[in-house]
Amino acid sequence: MQRESIWQRHRKALITIIILVIISPIFGVILANMVGYHEPLDVAAEKLGLHEWEFTWTPFTDYTVPGLPDTIGYIICGFIGVGVILGIGTILYRAAAAKTERGGAA
Amino acid sequence: MHIPDGFLDPVWIAITYAITIGYGIIAAKKAKKLWTPERAALLSVLAAGIFAAQMLNWPIPGGTSLHFVGGALAGILLGPWLGYFVLVLVLVTQCLIFHDGGITTLGANILNMGIVDVVVGYLVFKAVIRAMGNTRKARLIGAFLAGWLGITLAGIVCGIEIGLSPSFPYGVAITVPVMGTWHAILGVIEGIITAIVVDYIYTKAPHMVISLKTPVEVVSRAA
Repeated sequence: MQRESIWQRHRKALITIIILVIISPIFGVILANMVGYHEPLDVAAEKLGLHEWEFTWTPFTDYTVPGLPDTIGYIICGFIGVGVILGIGTILYRAAAAKTERGGAA
Repeated sequence: MHIPDGFLDPVWIAITYAITIGYGIIAAKKAKKLWTPERAALLSVLAAGIFAAQMLNWPIPGGTSLHFVGGALAGILLGPWLGYFVLVLVLVTQCLIFHDGGITTLGANILNMGIVDVVVGYLVFKAVIRAMGNTRKARLIGAFLAGWLGITLAGIVCGIEIGLSPSFPYGVAITVPVMGTWHAILGVIEGIITAIVVDYIYTKAPHMVISLKTPVEVVSRAA
């Protein structure tokens, strides 16, 4: 029997997620710049002189992509994050489905 | 609520990691009994949805913002064990790829949003349904209170962690009221969104709301 993909199972939810990522810079970049938003705990750290330890093993700090405008970078980061999560989810889903099929065949 | 690196001293880093890993081991054992392809798919789609929703920061004049956290929603839809893994997936992705929340404070961030918010949300929703019955009104009230109380208590626990850590110059007498009050206010929005999403999902696919099933139904679907 043909197994349904995650896309086929949750198409409406995934379309909603794509729309959320596309509109996210309106809130996370454009409006944030208008009101001078910074993460509250980061602001507290700066004012108190606490030093954040920098581990920069990816170039996507604070949902930016080097060389790209913040809005485009924010969208790309959104898709990278969603892609990573769904990639892991697909592995889990296939493993669970394979286990179920083995159980059913046994 | 994502605590950056530098806020917690080594003792609190160790304590919060130990609690988070300990809960994770128990959650993994419990989740084995609940594991189906359907739930694996729902777990990842919910995690992707919460990740996307958290990118929608609603800036508030004055330099702060609010965004949906989603712990209570995960607890209501998938229960306290699978719900934990939804938030782990979101928070680890945010931390390791986007440096959103510190690596040393990842244990604390998972404890606050992946355990406190998820478990409180689940228990509050179950309590309201038990008291009022499984009606639409009860689901809306239950999900609202779950979202609100979950995020408020998560904020208070966050305040306790940073207030007790010697790395942070203010004690719990300041951090707990500030974090608790602020998250109690923001929690109203969290509660409203949680209620709307739970109501919508229950209307379209009631089988996806695990916390409304009996323990026998929950496990038998996975068997």
